[in-house]
Amino acid sequence: MAEPSHIPHEFTACPDCDLLLQTAQSDHTLEGRCPRCKAVLWHAAKHTDTVSFAAAISGLILFYPAMTLPILKLKMVGQHGSNSLLGGIYRMWVEQEQILAVLIMLCSLLAPLLHLLLTAVVCFSVRFNHYPSHFPLWIKYKCWMQSWNMLEVYAMGIIVAYVKMMHDGEVTVSAGTYCLSGLLLCVILCSQYFHEEQAWQHWEKNKPA
Amino acid sequence: MSISAQQRGIARCTECGKLSHLPDLGHKTTAACPRCNTELSFRKPQSLQRSWAYTIAATALMIPANILPILTVISFGQGDPDTIMSGVVKLWVADLQAIAVIVFIASIAVPVLKLLILVILMLVVQWQLPLSRQQCTILYRFIHFIGRWSMLDLFMISILVTLVHLGNIATVESGPAATAFAAVVVLTLFAANSFDPRLIWDLDND
Ligand SMILES: [Zn+2]
Ligand SMILES: [Zn+2]
Repeated sequence: MAEPSHIPHEFTACPDCDLLLQTAQSDHTLEGRCPRCKAVLWHAAKHTDTVSFAAAISGLILFYPAMTLPILKLKMVGQHGSNSLLGGIYRMWVEQEQILAVLIMLCSLLAPLLHLLLTAVVCFSVRFNHYPSHFPLWIKYKCWMQSWNMLEVYAMGIIVAYVKMMHDGEVTVSAGTYCLSGLLLCVILCSQYFHEEQAWQHWEKNKPA
Repeated sequence: MSISAQQRGIARCTECGKLSHLPDLGHKTTAACPRCNTELSFRKPQSLQRSWAYTIAATALMIPANILPILTVISFGQGDPDTIMSGVVKLWVADLQAIAVIVFIASIAVPVLKLLILVILMLVVQWQLPLSRQQCTILYRFIHFIGRWSMLDLFMISILVTLVHLGNIATVESGPAATAFAAVVVLTLFAANSFDPRLIWDLDND
């Protein structure tokens, strides 16, 4: 293992074009962009961990009802049908579409759950200055889960399914949709207000030796 | 004069963004990020080879995904298999133009555009084409932003299959194209993630 040496904080490199930049501390305005390719290099942090922590906890409370309550209800020639997010995954698994079931489970159940859970853990650790072992891994997994979290696409899928079935039967929006909307709002707040660089810097300063 | 971090021997960690001096490494030695312990490199390793592999695989799977039926609506025993395109046409004919456009964008336009843009970006790097670096970077960000929306059709299928499960009256079944389409979506996501946009800007640095 070669040991890379330390680079002071006032230098940064653009993630998209690798331009080496010097950033004075006074430059930390609302948002900094790369002068060459306009990539966002930093954004200001203001009470951010409080908002993302609160959003993560609210999201976790809403999680179970959002997954299990019926999303849409259908009435057709006297017959009733309904679906929940968890039920959709189960149905795909039963109907010999295991690969699809696993992919849908990852994007709409596992990734949102772990994203919220890991955000809550990371915010909690930063706030109380108590770092569990493997803390860097937790932040890394949080980022991966965030990129696989596709709840907003699922929400659009509900709208499309609703409109598609409108003419064939009586479709009604059920409790699950409201819980899912709330969960989606929490997920958006959670990712918008989480300040990764701040979490990393906190850890670097205070990490257990 | 703009100088890239690589020219100064500085590598940016892909996970946490920390800069480190990367010493000249011999074979089989690796350096890890001092902050998060991820393996350091100046550029994503084998970026072009991996992107090409995923792109070619995704392009090949586009064929079964678009030819085979993706969804079958069975009402009163009458089955009617739909491919992605015929589903869009049916929505359009049924006066649901807005939804038809959304499904068309998510299931056809986005995967095709994504593969096309990836090929353009990789050719720009390989053949050193004189395209605007700025615009190439915008295209790269665009495919990152739109990629996830292809999942729309798959989510909709899982919703419909569960919702319309009414025994003899009506059922919805997924077809073999659904798995092929899922593979296309995942492979294009991997392809976009393995491509390193800094390679485009490196062309100016030589
Ligand atoms: Zn840049
Ligand atoms: Zn790192």
